Amino acid sequence: MVEKKIHTVYDVVCPFCGTLCDDLEVDINIKENRVVEVRNGCQIGTKKFFSSNPSEHRYLKPRIKENGSYKEVSWEVAIDKAADILVKAKRPLLYGFSSTECEAQSKGVELAEILSAILDNTASVCHGPSMLAIQDVGAPLSTLGEYKNRADLVIFWGCNPVHAHPRHLGRYSDFVRGYFRRDGRNDRFIVVVDPRNTHTAQIADLYIKVNPNEDYELLNAIRAMVRGVELDGDEVSGVLMEDIKKLVDILKSCKFGVIFFGMGLTQTLAHHRNIDSAICLTRELNDYTKFLLTPMRGHYNVAGANQVFTWNTGYGYSIDFSRGYPRYNPGEFSSVDLLMRDEVDAALIVASDPASNFPAASVKNMFKHPLISIDPHETPTTAFADIVLPAAFAGIECEGTAYRMDKVPLRLRKVKEAPGEVLPDREILERLIHKVKEKKGE
Amino acid sequence: MSLDNLILLTGRTINQGVALEGGKTTKENVRAAAICAFDKDDFKKLDCLAGTPVKVITNYGEVMVYSTISEEGPHPGIIFIPMGPWANQVVNPDSQSCGTPTYKGMKAKVEVVKDGKVLDALDLIRQLKEA
Repeated sequence: MVEKKIHTVYDVVCPFCGTLCDDLEVDINIKENRVVEVRNGCQIGTKKFFSSNPSEHRYLKPRIKENGSYKEVSWEVAIDKAADILVKAKRPLLYGFSSTECEAQSKGVELAEILSAILDNTASVCHGPSMLAIQDVGAPLSTLGEYKNRADLVIFWGCNPVHAHPRHLGRYSDFVRGYFRRDGRNDRFIVVVDPRNTHTAQIADLYIKVNPNEDYELLNAIRAMVRGVELDGDEVSGVLMEDIKKLVDILKSCKFGVIFFGMGLTQTLAHHRNIDSAICLTRELNDYTKFLLTPMRGHYNVAGANQVFTWNTGYGYSIDFSRGYPRYNPGEFSSVDLLMRDEVDAALIVASDPASNFPAASVKNMFKHPLISIDPHETPTTAFADIVLPAAFAGIECEGTAYRMDKVPLRLRKVKEAPGEVLPDREILERLIHKVKEKKGE
Repeated sequence: MSLDNLILLTGRTINQGVALEGGKTTKENVRAAAICAFDKDDFKKLDCLAGTPVKVITNYGEVMVYSTISEEGPHPGIIFIPMGPWANQVVNPDSQSCGTPTYKGMKAKVEVVKDGKVLDALDLIRQLKEA
């Protein structure tokens, strides 16, 4: 009998973006333990599966920095040194968690509590303002299936899913055929609001070009017009008054509308106030028709990080355990603000790359202090970390749970064995918890 | 040549996403994320070939990247650098007390530096480590 070389795993959940596509097919060369083919995935998701194969960028053993150079060490030595750094620190920061599974995130919360540390996830630099706004005014959200089956008006505001969530349009929001939208794209009217004529805007029915940093004004002008207020002037935020009127008519006359919004609202001036206004607009439109909104979450399990942190501590991100109980205050306990004030004296980074993704001034301060990184491969963070703990890819080399952008939990699958001595994030954090407890005499 | 009074936006591009999954310290990531996309007509004013290094300067720092013409225009007065270490040298770290820095919408100016050196991700971040 011929030995089977290729094993195909079906219905694999993609661990890249918040769309969490669950229909991938991955071919594994069993003998070589390599991903050889990925079907149904987008370009980025497919690349992620291939990047799990051993390469010069993949860490296979723990390593520590000694006298300016790196050396590979055993897990016992690496965990001991990492625990030592964390126990000695007065204000350690535990950051990341959005590109790993929920069980590991839960262990992160436990470790933060034991260390009286600050606990934060990447929502801090992306949809944190959305969470603040939802806490302020609530949010009319729904699962993506509802939009797929019902929405005849889809608005992408400050987001560019063609680039950031490549299969979102095909699975939920644009081209897909739904139960009440039998003709797919032809049954939907697509609006894009953005300062750039993005590739998403180029395939929309209506593109509204808004001035950068002026979304707040436009949202409130739309809200006023929805209520029937006549506004003075010729334009708001670079949008002609007649175009706003046209948009308001479209909003009011649809059967089921949805606003998907992204970093264009959260990372520009006014931050969470932009989202406040978007939510209030959505709520007010329900006086005329059915309207909902949903944030376009970036990392595949950042929604899960918010869920796990919330059910453990009461808060979604920016949590301080220094008084022995969780306190929440974005702006004070959020990672970038803490680093800008140089308050942190050690950092444990889990499945994230703040050296690439934080503003330069905050990265400078992060590098002043001991840095531990749990990551599968080389990044600008791991390259300058004092300790690197090599992790397995959650959703490729170990199982776990992840939350889609609409807060639907899906089970991640293991499609191949982890190479070398790498361990799942969950197990690395468990070992750290055990060692930290031992050092603290608990 | 130089251009003043520009607004810098940053964000995801699919090439940058693919490159970072393929290896954040690779040349591919430099090609995908160490770029600044200009509106077509703005770029003509720079009087240089696409791919010529440009220095992007904001109140928060400066960074050398390769110039390119935007496929997502027209957007006169707006330049775009994909999210990543290069963009983050020049973004506004102020979060207005909400935790999230202002990664988009900074005032910027651009200078053409024909013999400028665009650093790879590790060399760029090493500067912060050694600062």
